[in-house]
Amino acid sequence: MVDTLITGFMHGNAYAIVALGMSLIFGVSNVANFAHAAVFGMGMMIAWWLGSVLGLGIVPTIILVALITGLIGLLLNTLVISPLQNRPSVAALLATIGVGMILDNTSQMIFGTETRSFPELLPSHNIEFLGVRIGTSDIVMLLLTVAIMASMAAFLKYGKMGQAIRATAQDTQAAKQVGIPVKRIQNISFVIASAFAGVAGIFVGMFNSNVSPTSGSSVGMTAFIAATIGGLGSMPGAVVGGLTLGIVEALGVYAFGDGAHDLITFGALIIILLVRPNGLFGKKQVLHEPMTGSFSGGAKPYRIPRWLGPILIVAALVAPFLATDYFSSVGIQIMIYAMAAMGLTMVSGSAGQVALGQAGPIALGAYTSAILVGQLHASFLVGVLCGGLVAAIFSSIITFPVWKLSGHYIAIATIGVGSITVALIRVFEPITKGSLGITGIPFPQLFGFTLFTPQLQYVLVLTFLLIELLVITKIRKSHLGKTIESIGNDPVASESIGIRTSAYKALAFAIAAFFAGIAGALMAHQYTYIDPSMFPFATSSLVLTIAVLGGLSSPVGTILGAIVLVGAPELLRFMSGGRIIVYGVLLILIIIFRPQGLFAKKE
Amino acid sequence: MTRNNHISIRQLLLGVCTAGALLFTSACAQNSTFGSGTSGESSSSSVAIAVMYPETGQYAEYGKMFKQGLDLGVKQVNADGGVQGKKLELKYFDTQSDPKQTAAIAPKIAADKSVVAVVGDYSSGASMAASPTFQQAKLVHYGFNNSVSDFTSTGDYVWTPQFSQAVFQKQNAELVAQKAKKIAAVYIENDWGKSAYAEFKKEAKKLGISIVYESSYLADSTDLSPILIPARDAKPDAVVHIGYGPDGALVVNTLRDKLGYTGLFYGGQITQEYIKLSGSNGEGTRLIGPFTPDSTNPNAAKFVKAFRAAYKTDPGEFNQTSYASIIDLAYGMNKTSATREGVEKALKTVDDFPCYVGTKTTFKFNQSTRRMDSTSFLKLELTDGKFQITD
Repeated sequence: MVDTLITGFMHGNAYAIVALGMSLIFGVSNVANFAHAAVFGMGMMIAWWLGSVLGLGIVPTIILVALITGLIGLLLNTLVISPLQNRPSVAALLATIGVGMILDNTSQMIFGTETRSFPELLPSHNIEFLGVRIGTSDIVMLLLTVAIMASMAAFLKYGKMGQAIRATAQDTQAAKQVGIPVKRIQNISFVIASAFAGVAGIFVGMFNSNVSPTSGSSVGMTAFIAATIGGLGSMPGAVVGGLTLGIVEALGVYAFGDGAHDLITFGALIIILLVRPNGLFGKKQVLHEPMTGSFSGGAKPYRIPRWLGPILIVAALVAPFLATDYFSSVGIQIMIYAMAAMGLTMVSGSAGQVALGQAGPIALGAYTSAILVGQLHASFLVGVLCGGLVAAIFSSIITFPVWKLSGHYIAIATIGVGSITVALIRVFEPITKGSLGITGIPFPQLFGFTLFTPQLQYVLVLTFLLIELLVITKIRKSHLGKTIESIGNDPVASESIGIRTSAYKALAFAIAAFFAGIAGALMAHQYTYIDPSMFPFATSSLVLTIAVLGGLSSPVGTILGAIVLVGAPELLRFMSGGRIIVYGVLLILIIIFRPQGLFAKKE
Repeated sequence: MTRNNHISIRQLLLGVCTAGALLFTSACAQNSTFGSGTSGESSSSSVAIAVMYPETGQYAEYGKMFKQGLDLGVKQVNADGGVQGKKLELKYFDTQSDPKQTAAIAPKIAADKSVVAVVGDYSSGASMAASPTFQQAKLVHYGFNNSVSDFTSTGDYVWTPQFSQAVFQKQNAELVAQKAKKIAAVYIENDWGKSAYAEFKKEAKKLGISIVYESSYLADSTDLSPILIPARDAKPDAVVHIGYGPDGALVVNTLRDKLGYTGLFYGGQITQEYIKLSGSNGEGTRLIGPFTPDSTNPNAAKFVKAFRAAYKTDPGEFNQTSYASIIDLAYGMNKTSATREGVEKALKTVDDFPCYVGTKTTFKFNQSTRRMDSTSFLKLELTDGKFQITD
């Protein structure tokens, strides 16, 4: 037992040292920096290269890694974050996901993809301690964590530069007026935080002993949760959050096995946020404007003229029969993702809430229909509709407490809810077959006729998409739609005229989850096989990105967003290895240059 | 108001034009593939095998190993005169082993008439999302890496040379039973790990092995101490791992370095990656294996020699299975015809495919499961940085 606590504490320390940088950046720039994990991963790989290929020792490795990752941080801020300064926070959040993609793939291209052993720059297993062996490296990492935490906290509180950083964080405009060079301050904090991330990579590399270019992202996500648990922006919070999470995970896994790992990690996140909505050490957040801010407010969707609508629909209907099967199959993927994203124009567009867990309802819809139609022989349409209903009901229930939170905490809590949903599907083996997945899901069948060609399936999915478009457009124009929109535009004002904002947010989410569930069901009947690994966080972030890029105020825009984001990897196929990097760059460029979305104009 | 509308229409048209241009480009791209495919059907001097594989993304390392084996296979086939006098080509498609991408790309492959068979993908989810399309197109989908038990259930055009886990795990349990009566077991939490462990457990019970601790673990977990501490504390004769190379190395390194465990270890994987990552901790690792660079199987020995010449390193299991898939298909086509029908007929009728796994030199397919018929495996132990045959 004691040995489990010790290893949990040490693992938690690895989270803490990464979480510190994330919290620092959040505190200064109010950016949830998802690229931090990739910078950390990059630092780890550079350190591997310096330590094992060049054979450098610990001190030169630390210096060089800190310099390089610090430079990456500077580039990240000047090229991507700064241009998004006055935009809603979701823009920067999505852009950092894009940067993470680019960095991870670059690292794979530079260093190769294999897992390798990290050089023992310091002895890693030389101290026998109550049943486990820890190393000098672990002790140094712990001291370093405490030192960084204490020095950063003191620096922010007493140092002149630190005070400037805090002033900038509190009110950028006011800070500018009293003569603080805000740009430089933000640059400096990105450099410091990213250099820390790189150094953290060295020590976590020694802790994990095996590293690969993708190991940054798995540690990174957990570290992000640690920072959130501790309270975003708080230095002591990051450390306490990291250690808490490490120990909770170790004890939970000790008791229930590692199969329940995700359930424990994300469960801890949700429970702690319910008790402490701003994390363990977080201060009560000043009511920010919604994370999606002017994405909807400052933009107006283009209108499709009456004569053009029918033409577009007919063209979409006829196209698959004129083109190849490939056109239909790509079209189906695009439309399924458009369906999953369109509902977010209610949640993120109207109500202003960032939902980063749509993989949850998609998976629920897929599993419901797969089980009903494949095993209980219900008809296809019943299966799909039940898929939507189960997704709406179940997701709404487990998401409901989240609406009490605010700002970034909602975004991160929805990540948790999405992951918990998928983890539950994995655990409920008797019904869902867990990790084994469900095979032999029948193709869509209507009135006894199986839709086995891609063209027919395309038409089916298009029909569902158009129905959704009609329903969502009607709701947005209705009284209900306007009420939900008022919450997004001014939560305080809507509360004061008696609107129960939580309830309406939950309703908007239920509508989105219903259609995401239907999209999932259609997906299941097209793939004919599903397993829990097919619904990762990447699915959730893709769905949100589609909605944002299309224009959060425009249901039609989501279709355009899906064409770009799901279609682009296919169109970029000719570039082979670099295509994901180009895709990431494209994503960032659109976010920077079309802030209102592809299918909307600025007001 | 009217002015606003004008602007919106103008900008809308701009948008539509852009979208149209995008679609047009993509249509052209398709047409060129489609066109060359149809025209080249019978007259062409080459035939192609399509490969769906993870060139990028989190499984890219496996994609790299596949490509090495596949490239070597096709080089060898062409050096030996190709298939029915035609040159064999590989058409690679990066899917990141993502079902959304395999499902999308499948019809493009099916429409390309020069393609006579499809191999891949790495994960069964990605593979099985594409299978229905190939089944309809009557194009053989040869999932050489897809050992999950239901893989061939999509239909009679879906085949795999992977032996069944029932056979493999029976022999694995027998190997463990030779030296251990009391074991702790850890296995990877995915479709393959789950079904492999279920088979292993069944066989182990029959042999009277008691399992004193068991847990699965997620593929991306970075610290496995919380499950390995109770595994160690249960005082087993051996720890059995069912999973892949990197996680196998993590298990054995944690056990030996962090937890001071000195007992037997079964598991890991026959890859250079595992051998390198586990280093001295891995020495003494025992496992049942279809293939090792030191295999006494003459086919395998020939392959190892060619692989070393081409890549200056020892091949692992993934190199071997991908290589063999190309050799199998070419061998079959040379006995029937270099067409889609020929491939299917060969899998149904040919009974002496060259066998690279275990000790047999030929194999045939079990026609009801569409898998390799039962085979024997090698008992291996990691000694001096090499998996060597033991008894």
